[in-house]
Amino acid sequence: MRISLNWVKKYVNIPISDAELVRLIGARLVEVEEVIDETHKYDNIFVVKVEKAEKIPDTHLTLCQINVGELEIPKVEKNADGLVQVVCGAPNVHAGMLAAWIAPGAVVPASVHEAAPFVIGKRKMLGKFDSNGMLAAMDELDLGDDHEGIVEIDPNMAKPGEAFAEVFDLNDLILDIENKSLTHRPDTFGLIGFAREVAGILGQKFECDYLSEKLPNLPDKKAPVSITITDETICPRYSAVILEKHGEIKKKYLNLQDTLLAKAGMRPIDPIVDATNYLMLLTGQPLHAFDYDKFVKVGGSETPKVIVRLARKGEKLVLLDDEEIELNENDIVITSNDKPVALAGAMGGKSTMIDENTRNILVESATFSLYNLRKTQMSHGIFSEAITRFTKGQPAYQTLPVALKCADMLKDGFAIDAVADEYPDQQSKNVVKITTDEINDLLGTNYQKDLIVNTLSNVEFKVEPDGDTLCITAPSWRTDIHIEEDIIEEIGRLLGFDNIEPVLPLHATAEKNALFELKKYIRDLLSKYGANEVLTYSFVSGNVLEKAGLNTDNSYKIVNSISPDLQFVRQSIMPSLLDKAYLNEKLPVDQFAIFEMNKVYRKDLGMDDENVPQEKISLGFLVAERKNNQTAFYLAKKYVAKLFEELNIEVDYLSVKQNNPEILPFEPKRTAEIWANGEYLGIVGEFKNSVRNNFKLAPFLAGFEIDLLKILNMASLKKTVCFGQKKIEDLTITTDKTYAEALEEVQAKYPNAKIMPGTIYQAEGQKTRNITFHIELML
Amino acid sequence: MDELEKLKNELKKVNLEAAKVRDLPPEKRASFGREINAKKTEILEKIEAFEKSLLDKDVEPLDITAWSGVNEKEPEFYRTELGSKHPLMTELDRVAGIYQMMGFDIMESRQLDDEFHMFDSLNFPKEHPARDGYDTFRTEENLIPPAHTSTMQHRVLKKYKHNLAEGKAIAVAVPGRVYRNEDVDATHEHTFYQCEGVYVSSDCTMGQMLGILKEFFEKYYEQELNIRTQPGYFPFTEPSLELLIEKPKNIGGKKGDYLEMLGCGMIHPNVLKMAGIDPAVYHGFAWGGGIDRLVMLKYGLSDVRNFEAGNLNFLREFN
Repeated sequence: MRISLNWVKKYVNIPISDAELVRLIGARLVEVEEVIDETHKYDNIFVVKVEKAEKIPDTHLTLCQINVGELEIPKVEKNADGLVQVVCGAPNVHAGMLAAWIAPGAVVPASVHEAAPFVIGKRKMLGKFDSNGMLAAMDELDLGDDHEGIVEIDPNMAKPGEAFAEVFDLNDLILDIENKSLTHRPDTFGLIGFAREVAGILGQKFECDYLSEKLPNLPDKKAPVSITITDETICPRYSAVILEKHGEIKKKYLNLQDTLLAKAGMRPIDPIVDATNYLMLLTGQPLHAFDYDKFVKVGGSETPKVIVRLARKGEKLVLLDDEEIELNENDIVITSNDKPVALAGAMGGKSTMIDENTRNILVESATFSLYNLRKTQMSHGIFSEAITRFTKGQPAYQTLPVALKCADMLKDGFAIDAVADEYPDQQSKNVVKITTDEINDLLGTNYQKDLIVNTLSNVEFKVEPDGDTLCITAPSWRTDIHIEEDIIEEIGRLLGFDNIEPVLPLHATAEKNALFELKKYIRDLLSKYGANEVLTYSFVSGNVLEKAGLNTDNSYKIVNSISPDLQFVRQSIMPSLLDKAYLNEKLPVDQFAIFEMNKVYRKDLGMDDENVPQEKISLGFLVAERKNNQTAFYLAKKYVAKLFEELNIEVDYLSVKQNNPEILPFEPKRTAEIWANGEYLGIVGEFKNSVRNNFKLAPFLAGFEIDLLKILNMASLKKTVCFGQKKIEDLTITTDKTYAEALEEVQAKYPNAKIMPGTIYQAEGQKTRNITFHIELML
Repeated sequence: MDELEKLKNELKKVNLEAAKVRDLPPEKRASFGREINAKKTEILEKIEAFEKSLLDKDVEPLDITAWSGVNEKEPEFYRTELGSKHPLMTELDRVAGIYQMMGFDIMESRQLDDEFHMFDSLNFPKEHPARDGYDTFRTEENLIPPAHTSTMQHRVLKKYKHNLAEGKAIAVAVPGRVYRNEDVDATHEHTFYQCEGVYVSSDCTMGQMLGILKEFFEKYYEQELNIRTQPGYFPFTEPSLELLIEKPKNIGGKKGDYLEMLGCGMIHPNVLKMAGIDPAVYHGFAWGGGIDRLVMLKYGLSDVRNFEAGNLNFLREFN
């Protein structure tokens, strides 16, 4: 949404600088995304009078002599009569008119934001006519799309030589505001509502009776239209005003209304549409104009019923933009005797579109369910200014006054023929009772009662003190005010949250979180031993899962994923690490150990007591080298063993018997399960050749994955410190047993010694191996 | 003869047959070529599948109880200077550490949750447009990888409400990973980290909220800071605010340069009620803000995509 500060100033007296105002709006109403500075956009553009206009034979051009008043522009020569010569190609240029002149040296406003703004100069046309600057059309002034003719200015508004921007109030700052930031405040989607908040922020009483002033008298005649709302929840109120043509609306001159439309990012189109758009910008209430004769024709009877209802399955409607859409059962439609003529809140239908022959108009002013319109918006992809406002939930109180206001704006060409208004369940006013203490207690402030009453009254809340209690009635447009906290927010916000003194409640230090500490410890430990912590996405592709030998059916599947690469919630850290190993081997990094601690989810783990998927906190680790022909398993095992040693958890490495998905990428013959106290903790091993092959990784590759929640309760960080002298002896035994079996024999011999592994040697052709142990003896 | 031999022989035959194409009249060559090629592809695919199945056969077992391979040296850990911790995790630890010192229990956020915790329990009306603003991912089961750490608020309130009965406050910080369905560029990631704070007591005020947040950022940046607010809108807080801090000098801030750090507000009475806490007796405040940007500012990083890329050239800078 674009808000013109100049327009805000029409309703509020601003005693502070623009910069301070913008800061206050940001601090007390809504974040200002951007301030678009248009204070120099119309520099060197002037109102001029065309004194002479002579057609140049055999061309479409006109040679004009213009009166620029007292202006003296460098390098622009005046002739003996004090006039400046300009060649103009527009068909509507004529002597006596006031026009907008872009003087030589000025930038064409439409090109201000382009990379290379277009600077107007002095040119020779047709090789002989000097042309100084140009007479501008709407599109060049960035006020419209029209390029048919030049802009004509009302002689009652301006004199030759006046700055164009001054006359039309164009030296402006435009605030760009993200619509989402005001989702809860439909009333601020109109300039009047926005200005009311600005007044409130400045501590001023807001006064504007725009909607009640100058309302036309209503005809006595019985309304020829009847309105039926099938369900008041989809349409709380529907007002219609029928207008009958009695003359032509002649729009000759550029006016301030046109410039407001342009500042808001809209375009003047024709008097009827412009009036509806202008009122929407001021009040937030969107309007729609139907050609009433066409409306009657579609309905097939002289006084058709306006029926507002939900669309039926299979119904179709051709919209204003010629597109035929198939309606959904959530869409609200306006019908003429049950035949759809408009997609409510979104776009009118082709069959009742107004055109140059329109004689009778039905002006619709209504409110619709924001929930339905939100679905309409999404399913049909319509993002108009109107639906943006409707989906914030426009209040019902102003539908009829705005429609009447529209009738008033069109009175030169149209007279009110009839008025109808269906408002089945009149909205009651929201009343909240609260004490000043309650307000101050929650904010941590000490605001006096008078200040609170004034602050709320400034933005048209009705406040009636009753002893200590304030009885507060919200204005009709504040449908968001229901509870005490809503009032507290108003006070805090309008008086400035920044004026609240920050204080610190006293608190003792909290207990450390064991899991967090464990992860921190592991992070420190593994990185100390040269490993690198990585973070990878929680979502993986089906392909990565399959490459790692996992089944995609066991993963929760994302239905609206950004790409197929992010389609499945991961079951294990390992596939992600294998994927990243490939990237790093390719860089190339010759050797690395990467690890990640994160959450994983698998369907086979089922749901927890809150009926959400059971989660697992997993540590995945992977070691890879591009040039190493030794056995990778033992390096991965060394890391995992170090980890358990530091955490004082005694573990066993057993052959693979489990059948859980974590094990699927690993080669069972070169992999061990890790157990402690009869509990399975995880796995360490090399990968299946097929898996390694699928990820295109070098042979030296191994990893481990362990369950952090399981080791959390077993871990302790105590250290055994050993004093005294030690002696290390080597013992080699020749055996065909495994290392563990040989170790048992050695332990039997040295029950109190610490035994550490040495090398294993096997001569070629021999069945037995020489296993060396280092034995640490206390002296 | 083994399977592979057979397939290879078949392939040879097909190749020989293919040579016959020259003897055919030109009009028949195309269809003949297609037929032969189809056969060839089929055999090649079979060979590939067979070779793949062989990969996992006849693998040499190893002694899983040993500490080194036969005739190999015992492997060595990599050098410390190669190691690194992920900067996001380092900072998340630091953030959690500061909150813990300030009296906040730490509870980590879930990474797969449901509509109830993500929206319903937070006072989002059903089908309200405010739900759209979160661009959530959804699974086939309509589970949601959370778009904010506020998904944990209801759990925090329920888990710690016994504190209130004991006359203490609820004070919990919830760091965690969150997800938004949006296009990725240098400053936007679909996956990022947030930290939530929840505080409830019988006498808490918005002034205390601002005090705690100011204290946190001053501890984090190790210097005094100016804070500022702007109104915000969240269905689960009322009043709702955005908190800004003046960009700290030690990360290149100048006076008047403000950074939007987080959204915050007084917990909506409905949220308290849903967790079984009486909003007439207790009030609370909550906040949530991104961690990624803290880290980017601190290290002067310009591309958020590096965090989850797993590229060691980047990560090893953080040892």
